[in-house]
Amino acid sequence: MTTLFPMLAVSAEGATGLPDWPIAAPAAGFGWAGLILWLPLLSLLGCGLCWLSGTRSKLPAWITVVSLGLAFVTTAVLFTRVDAPIIIHLFDWLVLDWRSEAGEAGGFTANFSLYVDRLTLLWMLFVTGLGTLIALYASEYMAGDRGRGYARFFAGVSVFLFAMSCLVMGDNLVLLYLGWEGVGFASYWLIGYFYTRPSAVAAAKKAFIVNRIGDLGLALGLYLVWSTFGTVEYQGLFTALRNGAAGEALLHGGWSVQAIPFLLMLGAFGKSAQLPLYVWLPDAMEGPTPVSALIHAATMVTAGVYLLARLFPLLTLHPAALPAVAWIGGLTALLAATIGMAQYDIKRIMAYSTVSQLGYMFLGIGVGTTFGAAYHVFTHAFFKAVLFLTCGAVMHGFAGQLDLRRLSGLRHMPGWRITSYTMLVGCLCLAGFPLTSGFFSKDAIIAEAFSHGGTGAAMLGWLALVVAGLTAYYTFRVWFRVCAGPAHYEMGDEHHGDDAAHGAGAGHAGGHPGGHPGGHAGGHAGGHAGDAGHGGGHGGGHGSHPHAPGIAINLVLLVITACALLAAIPYFLPSGVEGVAGGWVAGMVAGSSAAAGLPASGGAHGTFLGLDPHTAMYVVSAAVGLVGIAVAWRLHLADRAAADRLRGRLLGNPALRWLPVAMERKWYVDEIYDALIRQPLWVLGHVLASIDRIVIDLLLVDCTARLPRLLARAFQPLYGGLLQSYALFMAGGVALVALLVLFMPELIAKLGTILGGGG
Amino acid sequence: MIASLLLLLPLLGAALIAFGPAGRRDVAGARAGSRTGPRWIAAVCTLVTAAVGVVAAMQFEGWRDGSFGLHAGVDWLADLGITLNMHVDAVSLLLILLTLLLMPLCIFASFSAITARQREYYGWLLVLQAAMTGVFLARDLVFFYICFEFTLVPMYFLIAIYGGENRARAALKFFIYTFTGSMLTLAGLLWVAWAHADRLGTWTFDIPTLTAFAQSGLSSGEQAWILLALMAGFAVKVPLFPVHTWLPLAHTEAPTAGSVILAGVLLKLGTYGLYRFVLPMVPDAVVAYAPFIAVLAIVGIVYGALICWVQDDVKKLVAYSSVSHLGFCVLGLFALNPIGVQGSVLYMINHGLSTGALFLLIGMMYERHHTRDMNRIGGLARVMPVWSLFMVFFVLSSVGLPGLNGFVSEFYCLLGAFTASVDAQTGYPGRLGPWYAAFAGTGMILAAMYLLIMTGKVVFGPTHLPGGHGHGGGHGGGHGGGHGHAGHAGHAADAHGDGAALPPDLTRREIGVLIPIALLCIVLGVRPGLLTDALARPIEQALAASAAASAAATVARPQDADTGGGASGHAEGTGDDLPRADAADATGDVVRERVRG
Repeated sequence: MTTLFPMLAVSAEGATGLPDWPIAAPAAGFGWAGLILWLPLLSLLGCGLCWLSGTRSKLPAWITVVSLGLAFVTTAVLFTRVDAPIIIHLFDWLVLDWRSEAGEAGGFTANFSLYVDRLTLLWMLFVTGLGTLIALYASEYMAGDRGRGYARFFAGVSVFLFAMSCLVMGDNLVLLYLGWEGVGFASYWLIGYFYTRPSAVAAAKKAFIVNRIGDLGLALGLYLVWSTFGTVEYQGLFTALRNGAAGEALLHGGWSVQAIPFLLMLGAFGKSAQLPLYVWLPDAMEGPTPVSALIHAATMVTAGVYLLARLFPLLTLHPAALPAVAWIGGLTALLAATIGMAQYDIKRIMAYSTVSQLGYMFLGIGVGTTFGAAYHVFTHAFFKAVLFLTCGAVMHGFAGQLDLRRLSGLRHMPGWRITSYTMLVGCLCLAGFPLTSGFFSKDAIIAEAFSHGGTGAAMLGWLALVVAGLTAYYTFRVWFRVCAGPAHYEMGDEHHGDDAAHGAGAGHAGGHPGGHPGGHAGGHAGGHAGDAGHGGGHGGGHGSHPHAPGIAINLVLLVITACALLAAIPYFLPSGVEGVAGGWVAGMVAGSSAAAGLPASGGAHGTFLGLDPHTAMYVVSAAVGLVGIAVAWRLHLADRAAADRLRGRLLGNPALRWLPVAMERKWYVDEIYDALIRQPLWVLGHVLASIDRIVIDLLLVDCTARLPRLLARAFQPLYGGLLQSYALFMAGGVALVALLVLFMPELIAKLGTILGGGG
Repeated sequence: MIASLLLLLPLLGAALIAFGPAGRRDVAGARAGSRTGPRWIAAVCTLVTAAVGVVAAMQFEGWRDGSFGLHAGVDWLADLGITLNMHVDAVSLLLILLTLLLMPLCIFASFSAITARQREYYGWLLVLQAAMTGVFLARDLVFFYICFEFTLVPMYFLIAIYGGENRARAALKFFIYTFTGSMLTLAGLLWVAWAHADRLGTWTFDIPTLTAFAQSGLSSGEQAWILLALMAGFAVKVPLFPVHTWLPLAHTEAPTAGSVILAGVLLKLGTYGLYRFVLPMVPDAVVAYAPFIAVLAIVGIVYGALICWVQDDVKKLVAYSSVSHLGFCVLGLFALNPIGVQGSVLYMINHGLSTGALFLLIGMMYERHHTRDMNRIGGLARVMPVWSLFMVFFVLSSVGLPGLNGFVSEFYCLLGAFTASVDAQTGYPGRLGPWYAAFAGTGMILAAMYLLIMTGKVVFGPTHLPGGHGHGGGHGGGHGGGHGHAGHAGHAADAHGDGAALPPDLTRREIGVLIPIALLCIVLGVRPGLLTDALARPIEQALAASAAASAAATVARPQDADTGGGASGHAEGTGDDLPRADAADATGDVVRERVRG
């Protein structure tokens, strides 16, 4: 591995070989930064009160939007005030101290404290910013559910923001773990928002449970960190690492210390939906779309990337750790992209695309470019949010219709122009079209894979290039199908909101908008624009017409699209840190513990076919992306029948028949997991339950108990529950005890002789 | 003096109830007002006792330094040194406070469920409270044992009279099973007392004296036997795999308050016994057998969790979850380091709160729908939103969501076990290690599975209620008066139509019962320091003996290959060679040799 991957690795001699990175120190006077945590909690409280009062106003949404907006402002102020990394103590949480037998003092500390460096701020800026915008979007999107559901939704969003802030800002691994599980819980809450729908309940459950598998890895990694370094606080941990504690630990701790990076990785793969734990994310699309955009695309799923970037120095504890991250990321990117190519549900395609893009980020971490990973997180957050929110607008307007075969030519329909073109921008970014934000961030990763040197990294570079082409193809497959081409649609059969209140009889209403004059549809949309939604009266007849998004949705779409485009600019801004190229984001990374993962200038450089990878990649990846788009154009816009013919030809070819089917069926991964893990455990549960009932309880216990049970029959008169009998019982008990005590010496002596004789 | 009040007040209440009025037999009448019935006597009595408990907690001076306080007592059988002495330290006082909190809540929760034979019911509950308090208060071994056993009697009647269909068998099994185990425990404890009398010439049953004597005065072989005897009773009570089968049965059949007290306090008598007697009295044996007991705990965690998964009866599911959860508690205890034991003691409290609340909630559901079968009832979120909110909350607390109480204790237990290796970071060398925590940790995943599956069925999903009661929101009480309590207390001849008296969602009384527990769950999740600071010193003292034994054993034992380095160095053996615990079969021989020698 090491020959394939000339990595930064800690040697047993203790030389870290890592570049220095700034470590935070406690700072006073920043207590107000705690507002970033408390504001979402306040909002939760407010939403809870709204839930109790059962208000049907939009109050919960406004409470949430204002609180999150203020949290964003607080983050921005913090950003301007913090240069050197600082630690802000809020209150004591888990604190133990003790003296050992030998009199040494020991302790365990994990406080509610914030570790604020530039990496923290980078993450918090887009988490709170997008959180605010998406809450605003949801205020309209969820308007059909006003009442308790509305409050429940925004309470969930608030919980999520609180947990995510803990995750990113915590100054120790336990607070990170709190956030880690907290976002998992918020995700459970929101995926299961439509709790009367069994599929939503199942998806929520699956997300929580699969995440818990990763969480166990993280927890064990945390324990191992503590038992190796004696602290779970970043400050102490980084100081120890920099002082060569890693080398020392490797000398003494053996394999268990080397397991640290792999356990942390397991946690990261669970939360960020990587192989083998990615299966929950596509199902998570059961949640309302704003949730998918916020949690399952932009913010929560990047927590794994954050974890590995934050703890990058720990990843060097085993030479195979970073290559493992890179390979898992690369393979996940490929697998998810192939699945995404064959799906028909546009929201699911976006979900697989998220999995795939997260794969890129891990690939970036694995080849040592924390900057590339962080930058891709940053750009992806915006453009994927755009894509999800436009999908949501479509779903909202077409009664849950998400099948790209049943939607077409959206951009020709009145009221859908903004949606169509913002989606186009999102698609361009995702496909890595030249000069978009996604183009630069993806290039940073692919180029680094080539320039990293070594065969393994180069192979991953090629893999990433292929996936870039696939990405461009499936992205534009969606856009060409849904937004371009002749206008045509079929309504979905689903109504958000109180499904008991709405008749399910809306049905499919196939037809051409030609049949619905513009005035009709437009008027329909206009009628709703006033109250930015459609309240409770969204039943029967309305279901057959699409209604275009209202002001809140369009506004948010435009703002986030602008952000997605502008996210390319930081690449050209000065990093503000000497010797660090790569723009503003690189500067943000350089100010944190992830700086250890910045490529050292003039380090080992591989080439891309003899060229400088960073320069060559601008051209090569652009070309690959354009090819993907061209193929999508040919198959899904110019001649849509060609796609069906291609599929038919593949299905007709016995040697290749399996391929499209397997891709559509998601490589049967869910089925395999079910057969290999869930079913055996389920059977085992039943077997154990039977063993418990028959072997342990019936055979062992009841048979042994036969004799005393005979005796017990004598007690049955006590059954009556009379107090006299209880008194009698007590007297008897005391007498028994007294007798035993009196004759104990003799008994013991007897016992002693018996045992002595017997032995 | 105040300590004896804690014991006497409930007894006084029980006496008042025994000789007081019988109480109205229908809920409707009782709702209207009569505030003199047994249940109000019981409620007032437990509330007053709780208030006294709060005063006692404020008077107690050992919160920080780990000393014992609130001494009280009288001599009883002076010749034998048997007294009725009482004292508390932070650990026992916290458990008393837990008892004092849960009792009034149980009584208020029983208001609508128990309408027949109220006198006995509330009387026995108060007697039970006195017995449980006595266990934690006792400073005298005999006193301890009497209270310990006496908890069985009221619980027996509570299950046998007010339980479900299978109540007779459950009550009997509960009684016989735990009684048998405790007899062996008694033998073990008496052995210690006898050895003390034999070697020092005076009889005493003073627990601190005996503990101090046992640590040093007993040979390793004797310790092993005593450990076995003590474990026999305490492990049944906990319950530890494989002596747990009484628990699901008793839990399922017991009335709601009975289940709450069983889970909340009675199981803790077992872990408290382990903490108070096993750890300090027989340290050598504890160190030797810690891995063996830990393995049993881990088996219990996984085994209980997998069985939970396939249950249909919600109450049985929560009952088996206790087997799984208490496994964590025992694991933390036998980590033999401050983190693990802190976690374990916290676990006693936290499990009492969250599982107690789950039982309360299931009782509330049962009172309305008369079923606990997950296949027959589901989607309650629509019908009972407030109930569902509490249900999800306590499920999360039970799953160990960080920020709530369950997480802290589970985290400490696992961390304790994880670091309990020979060269531990804690300075307390132990016999467990990372693998123990890794296997026990799977219980975290499984707990999420079975509890969320249960939530998914009962709380979420499409609404369906037994008896074909409609979908959608607003159906009323749902049950005509005729429903009565047929399945619930079928023996009660004077069936009563209280189903209609309960609204579909929780009443104020029921919400009032749940809110204190919920608040504590949050407070203890956010500020566990409130407890851990107070527990630090007593736990250090409880661990002192086993730590010394462990250190000695570490030095004496040749280095284990799998635990890595660290323990080398000062290898002047102290001569105290312990029987190796992984050779459990061989230990018998070792012990026999020692007895002879």
